[in-house]
Amino acid sequence: MKVSLNWLKEYVDIGDDYKLLKDSYNLMSQEVEGLYKLVDINNLFIGKVLTCIKHPDADKLSVTTVDVGDEVLQIICGAPNVAVDQKVIVSKVGSVLPGNFKIKKSKIRGIESNGMICSLEELGVKEFDAEETGIYVLDPEAPIGGDPLAYMHLDDYVLDLDLTANRADLLSMEGVAYDTAAMLDKDIKIKKHKYDKKNVENSIKVFTDTKMCHAYYCQVIDNIKIKQSPYWLKSRLIAAGIRPINNVVDITNYVMIEYGQPMHAFDYNKLKSDEILIRHAKEGETIVTLDEQERKLLATDIVITDGRNPIAIAGVMGGLSTEVDGSTTKILLESACFDPICVRKTSKRLDLKSESSSRFEKGIDSDKIDNALHYATELFISLADGEVLGEYSFFDNCKKEPHYVELTLEKLNSITGHTFANNDVESILKRLRFNYREKNNLYRIEVPTRRKNVYGYQDVIEEIVRIFGYNKIPLTIPKTPTTGYLTAEQKLRRTVRNYFVNNGFNEIVSYSLVTPEQAIEFDLVDLPTIEILNPINKEKNLMRHSLLPSLLEILKYNQSRKISDIFLFEIGRSYFRDKEVELLSGVLTGVLSSNLWQGQKEVTDFYLLKGIIETLLAKLNIEDFEIVKTEKPISKMHPGICADLLISNEYIGYIGKLHPQKEFDLSIDKTYVFELNFEMLSKFYQTNIIMQDIPKYPTVSRDLAIVVGSDIQASDVIKEAKIAGKKTLKQLEIFDVYQGKNVDVNEKSIAMSLTFQNSEKTLETKEIDIIVNRILKHLEKTINAKLRQF
Amino acid sequence: MQTKLNKLINELEAKLKTVETVNDLMVLKAEYSGKKSIFNDLMKELKDTPKEERPKFGQMINDAKTKIAEMIEIAKSDLEIKMIEEKLIAETIDVSLPGKKYNIGSKHLISQVIEEVEDIFLGLGYTVKEGPEVESDLYNFEMLNLPKDHPARDMQDSLYISEELLLRTHTSPVQIRSLLENKNQEPMKIICPGKVYRKDDDDQTHSHQFTQIEALVVDDKVSLADLKGTLLFIAKKLFGEEREIRLRPSYFPFTEPSVEVDVTCYKCGGAGCSMCGQTGWIEILGAGMVNNNVLKAAGYDPNVFQGFALGMGVERIAILKYGIDDIRAFYTNDLRFNKQFRGK
Repeated sequence: MKVSLNWLKEYVDIGDDYKLLKDSYNLMSQEVEGLYKLVDINNLFIGKVLTCIKHPDADKLSVTTVDVGDEVLQIICGAPNVAVDQKVIVSKVGSVLPGNFKIKKSKIRGIESNGMICSLEELGVKEFDAEETGIYVLDPEAPIGGDPLAYMHLDDYVLDLDLTANRADLLSMEGVAYDTAAMLDKDIKIKKHKYDKKNVENSIKVFTDTKMCHAYYCQVIDNIKIKQSPYWLKSRLIAAGIRPINNVVDITNYVMIEYGQPMHAFDYNKLKSDEILIRHAKEGETIVTLDEQERKLLATDIVITDGRNPIAIAGVMGGLSTEVDGSTTKILLESACFDPICVRKTSKRLDLKSESSSRFEKGIDSDKIDNALHYATELFISLADGEVLGEYSFFDNCKKEPHYVELTLEKLNSITGHTFANNDVESILKRLRFNYREKNNLYRIEVPTRRKNVYGYQDVIEEIVRIFGYNKIPLTIPKTPTTGYLTAEQKLRRTVRNYFVNNGFNEIVSYSLVTPEQAIEFDLVDLPTIEILNPINKEKNLMRHSLLPSLLEILKYNQSRKISDIFLFEIGRSYFRDKEVELLSGVLTGVLSSNLWQGQKEVTDFYLLKGIIETLLAKLNIEDFEIVKTEKPISKMHPGICADLLISNEYIGYIGKLHPQKEFDLSIDKTYVFELNFEMLSKFYQTNIIMQDIPKYPTVSRDLAIVVGSDIQASDVIKEAKIAGKKTLKQLEIFDVYQGKNVDVNEKSIAMSLTFQNSEKTLETKEIDIIVNRILKHLEKTINAKLRQF
Repeated sequence: MQTKLNKLINELEAKLKTVETVNDLMVLKAEYSGKKSIFNDLMKELKDTPKEERPKFGQMINDAKTKIAEMIEIAKSDLEIKMIEEKLIAETIDVSLPGKKYNIGSKHLISQVIEEVEDIFLGLGYTVKEGPEVESDLYNFEMLNLPKDHPARDMQDSLYISEELLLRTHTSPVQIRSLLENKNQEPMKIICPGKVYRKDDDDQTHSHQFTQIEALVVDDKVSLADLKGTLLFIAKKLFGEEREIRLRPSYFPFTEPSVEVDVTCYKCGGAGCSMCGQTGWIEILGAGMVNNNVLKAAGYDPNVFQGFALGMGVERIAILKYGIDDIRAFYTNDLRFNKQFRGK
């Protein structure tokens, strides 16, 4: 809401301290978006053109002399419409026009110019008269040497309020005046309207057959003359951010701003009958609205009809067929109240949001409907030479009884935490112009109809506190006895995050909405996706099943910016029809650590990734896991370099290298990825640790090299060795895998280091020999392994 | 005898000069002082010596033995010193050569702020609650005093999945879920961090996805003063102990009264600068007393219970704390950006 301060001064004495007004709004009412001069230009004067001749050296320029009161200036003017005897706006040397355009003494093609004759556009108020193309010509009565801004009523300040959705009352000047008076603790002058009418019967009859029209008042005004509005009205509208059109439109807009009551004027002579019927539209019925669009209506829309055809969509927009135009002489003026939800639905569906519809949506003051009609009528008489034919026609089913709210002093004090005295409360209620009765600290408050948002006692408390001042409320901490803690899963999230960060990974957060292809490309099985009905971006309209496409996009983004070593992870959700699953995913490529002059380079490969995951599991005390070759990897993964992580035989996720085709498609290289179900990890996360004695007896190591078929997996060797090694075999580490010279083509040699320990005693060499032999025999039996002969 | 012994000592002295390793020294030691050493022979000789001369000779031999042991000991320690010195020289390196380079990990700024805010609230006795991001209209709007066709729904343009399902536009539905879960209506203090979504085009100040943290306290006597005290505590923890706060009236359907919370500008201290638009204040979050309609919807009697709620944008907090000028930076994940915030 843009508030003209000159307008506001008609209601409340706000004084000259506009900063106080601004601060009051900020701290007690609504956020102030700006406080500015409507036209911020100094050194403007009304001048009279005394002479005007063509510039000798320029076809399009005129040399003028202009009387500006205390002097006569020679000014070069480029406007084609400049002429002798015109009253014009002169900006003298030294004034600064919008766009930091400084007026200086100058010579134009050899002739001196001491200022500028201004157009409206140059003053930044083109909308003051949209038809004017050259310099602006004031009316002949304009006083020479006077201030044109004051003469045009443009010498105003605007307080721009950023209104919250609940304060419909502030969509009117009167409402703003009430709030201002309450905040500044000032009186308010309420306007009264009176006009003369002819003693003729009003021929218009109003009917309704829908409850969605709560009230409808209309007045016929005859003999009106369409013309431009006076300067003061235009300036007020411009201050309010509304473009002046002609007196009929301007009056309806002006009254709407004054009282928050939307108005509409129909060309009476274009109506097909004297009967106004407000009804639901017929399904599929059409109307061409003022913007010349044909609108198809639904039965839930409300229309105004002339007994037969729709002439307006109620509260949203008028129809073209009854539009007021230059030849209009008689109008039907409407002031009505329509159901807020109904107006909202229609305006939303038709994408027709207007000053009018937004006021209806938020709820208008039912007490102002007739008042607005009277005020507009008064203006039509004074500004459009109109004549009123008899009484207005109307019906009004709006609730007129006041709404009462009860509030005890005790509740007020309990909610606010401040101890209010009765006279604190009473003085604030008086400032708000809320009538009340008090008995034993119980207030029965009569809420004015303009304050539809004040409904329960909490709303009254808000009113009291804001006027009282939030800054005077004390500062305490709740005494609510609760304990604060993180759940195991929340702690794990932090543990895992720290683990990856400490291992050189950069955490990322990415968007949940992805393209249809990305949503499912890492799916193991077909699962339905969640699709947005009204996406912002039609390309990215699905909720992701995997974090990997986003991670890869970010990897590619960074790689194309010459960052080659990339280690990313994300903990985030994937979205399915019936559940949201938290995933732990990552992508990695390049060098994790290096020292080049030493020839050291830890380059990402499958085993680096595997080690990171294995160490994570070790950190989480998860022992019963396996990383096994993926039988049927998803198509985006390299079929030969992909493994599943199983914990206690349950599938957790996979790790591996991206399929070369996918790498090629993304123009990235040597990229490894992992995606694990974080919730499953959490399920197996062991936090209950019981101390175990440190073994007293020494460990003994033996190295062993065996030869097996090349199709045998290392995991088979380890698994079988552990079976045969029983409890005594504490650790098995593979330190060499060899294929080549001295080993058959279809075979490979695996060298491992075995560590034995007995918790009861020191192991003798003989005992170890026995165990090693047992392992060898078992390996021979199960995987056909032979001891390697050198 | 003495001559023999002297000769022996001289001989050893000469040999010691040529010894270069501890090993060689040990060989010498065995030769001169071990069981099979020259002294064995001398001891045998001692047996053949007249009885009265034996003590004298014995004394001589012992003295010589001690002397030899000393000499070897000294030689040994000299050798060791020499060896260590050689080792030191041999091992000396150029410490100015570069060290091993590790990739530097970093937590995402959003995670950092969430953890920081969580820790502040954990200390005040709050627990952390989470809820689904695909949410019902009922929990996201209706039970929060935002019935269908309420004009305030325009404040939060939503991404819908069906008439009844949408991407949550705030973390407030977690409040409803937590209130409903709390069957015994015990006093409650919770915070709800999480992702939220709005139908906004991404630009410098808007993101269709962002992160919120809400706090909710419900008990029989929680007041606006408690909210103010809590807000001041959080503002000081997040933006520095010198900060002050102020409350301005605002509107949220789920709270009444509703307020916007400003903190004194941490750049100018409240004097006014470009950071705070010359006002001295920076808006950080919204809050208010829980609307009775919300309590009622969750089955709480507003005559018994009252509460407060507050909600902050995680990205906004980070933007303010770290001087970030574009909200999209959080989601672009340019590593040159992410890695700057690696301290935590």
